[in-house]
Amino acid sequence: MNEFELLRNITIGQYLPADSYLHRLDPRAKILAAILVIAAVTFTPSLVGNACLLAAALALVRVGRIPLAYALRGLVPAVPLLVLLAVMQLLFFGRNYDPTSSVVFQWRWLAVTIVVTAAVLKLVVVSAARFIELLLVTSVFTLSTKTTELTLGIESLLRPFRRLRVPAHELALVVTIAVRFVPTLALEAERLMKAQASRGGRFGGGRWHFVTRVRQLLPILVPLVTYALRRGEELIVAMEARAYTGGTGRTAYTVLASGPGDWLAVCIAAAFLAAMLLAPFPA
Amino acid sequence: MTASHGVTSAVGARAATGRADEALIRVEDLWHTYMAGTPFAQAALRGVTMYVCPGEVVGVIGHTGSGKSTLIQYLNGLLRPSRGRVVVAGYEVGRSNSGIEAVRRLVGVAFQDPEDQVFEPLVGDDVAYGPRQLGLAVDELRARVRWAMEAVGLPFDAFKDRYTYTLSGGELRRTALAGVLAMRPRVLVLDEPTAGLDPVTRSDVRERLLTLCRRDGLTLVLVSHDMDEIAGLADRVYVLHAGAVVASGPPREVFARPDALAPYGLLPPYPTQVCMRLRARGIPVRGDALTIEEAGAAIAAALRATR
Ligand SMILES: Nc1ncnc2c1ncn2[C@@H]1O[C@H](COP(=O)(O)OP(=O)(O)OP(=O)(O)O)[C@@H](O)[C@H]1O
Ligand SMILES: [Mg+2]
Repeated sequence: MNEFELLRNITIGQYLPADSYLHRLDPRAKILAAILVIAAVTFTPSLVGNACLLAAALALVRVGRIPLAYALRGLVPAVPLLVLLAVMQLLFFGRNYDPTSSVVFQWRWLAVTIVVTAAVLKLVVVSAARFIELLLVTSVFTLSTKTTELTLGIESLLRPFRRLRVPAHELALVVTIAVRFVPTLALEAERLMKAQASRGGRFGGGRWHFVTRVRQLLPILVPLVTYALRRGEELIVAMEARAYTGGTGRTAYTVLASGPGDWLAVCIAAAFLAAMLLAPFPA
Repeated sequence: MTASHGVTSAVGARAATGRADEALIRVEDLWHTYMAGTPFAQAALRGVTMYVCPGEVVGVIGHTGSGKSTLIQYLNGLLRPSRGRVVVAGYEVGRSNSGIEAVRRLVGVAFQDPEDQVFEPLVGDDVAYGPRQLGLAVDELRARVRWAMEAVGLPFDAFKDRYTYTLSGGELRRTALAGVLAMRPRVLVLDEPTAGLDPVTRSDVRERLLTLCRRDGLTLVLVSHDMDEIAGLADRVYVLHAGAVVASGPPREVFARPDALAPYGLLPPYPTQVCMRLRARGIPVRGDALTIEEAGAAIAAALRATR
């Protein structure tokens, strides 16, 4: 067990080199397709629909040649939260959520009544499924996209909006830096925890000791924020030292070129979204 | 080379090598893989076996990436063995958290980069972090912090209220050391404590470490790329290569066969190299000198014999 190896469970913000259709895809097409798929996840409330979405997400993992176990690993840190959410929904929604729904389970003790309706059960399953789908889709996206590609893609997609004073380059840069900092901060948190644990700081307690674990993170937070600020400052100096002056007149090392194969991905994603929206899934 | 002056007296003055059966720390067939279970998996330790006896100075040397820093994280239970065993003072380090705090109190680890270890804004607070976790009374706490800072050569009154980010690299390293010392560990594990320091500071830090070992009976595990330092301080050395121990023993024996070390990217200390080259040219110098003083004596003896 490595109680301090946080990075192992973080799949967002990592790039996993491989030779797959998704890796070769033009980043602009990939971003659009990802947005369409995420929209499909957001607008599908039905059980059958979510089963389809889950299957689609797993298919994406497959197409991207990403080991399924690794893609699912990102779920590990979120499991306690998911369980907590499910328990809250089961305990407290009761008849308030869709009163017309039939009661599946009822339990009474003194003044306390716990009622679980079919609608609540469905809600619990659908929220968990949605979470997994979102995580899989975003993980596949970041695992198959280099940060430079991501920047170029975002910038290129936002360029038409420059007339509306949308700072395309700056926004792209912000997103890139944010994504890039996720593993960096995870490593730093790991270091801080090790430093404190070495000198008598208390960490650990099982995965399910949710409150304890959160409380243990507090002494880490202040130095972590300080570190993030310092890193940010260093980044500014490093960029200025290399004569970075913003987006105007800047050329790119890689020039994006999309072919029909790239736009096919967007078409498939759009068709998928349409299918999910229009399909007569049982409610 | 001048940096190894002053620590030479360590050689020979200390007790002979420790025995495995009285070990304070025992590592048996230890394996470690970073990012296990992900496509980024990277094997860092492949079956390391070593032991550390009370009062000993044990050196760990090896090429960059050979697994030294990974190994020392096992010595105080920061990493838990998933394959192999680590036993500290009779306590088997395992998954359970019970007893792990005692292990960490017994074994103090100073990481490779002092920045990794110093996290409080003020020097005094950072050194006090460990003792504070022990729940000491204010007076005692203050005394400990003072003692630890003075022991590493940071004047207490001048430095206790300095911001850590205003320190120089050498001062930061001393702060990190003081933070570990303030826990009053029985075993001190240091990862390249003198790397990147100027020669004077370097020998000063070494002198202080030696004093601690001698006077307070501290046990020392020392990771270093500086063979002169290892030769001057260590009672026994372990040579790590690609995550495995490829040689071990007293420095005199390990450094006696440079051909055996060369494949692992290591060279003997400079004085040893000088003597060996003289021998290669047919001058009958003893080949096992480790320090400048010993090399000097060996060459003088050879000169007298040939005159
Ligand atoms: N957090 C980590 N994640 C993945 N791999 C790592 C990590 N830390 C170290 N490694 C790898 O494990 C191996 C051993 O690293 P380690 O830091 O133990 O080497 P070292 O002997 O201390 O090297 P150096 O002399 O350069 O400090 C290296 O190949 C390194 O790339
Ligand atoms: Mg190291």
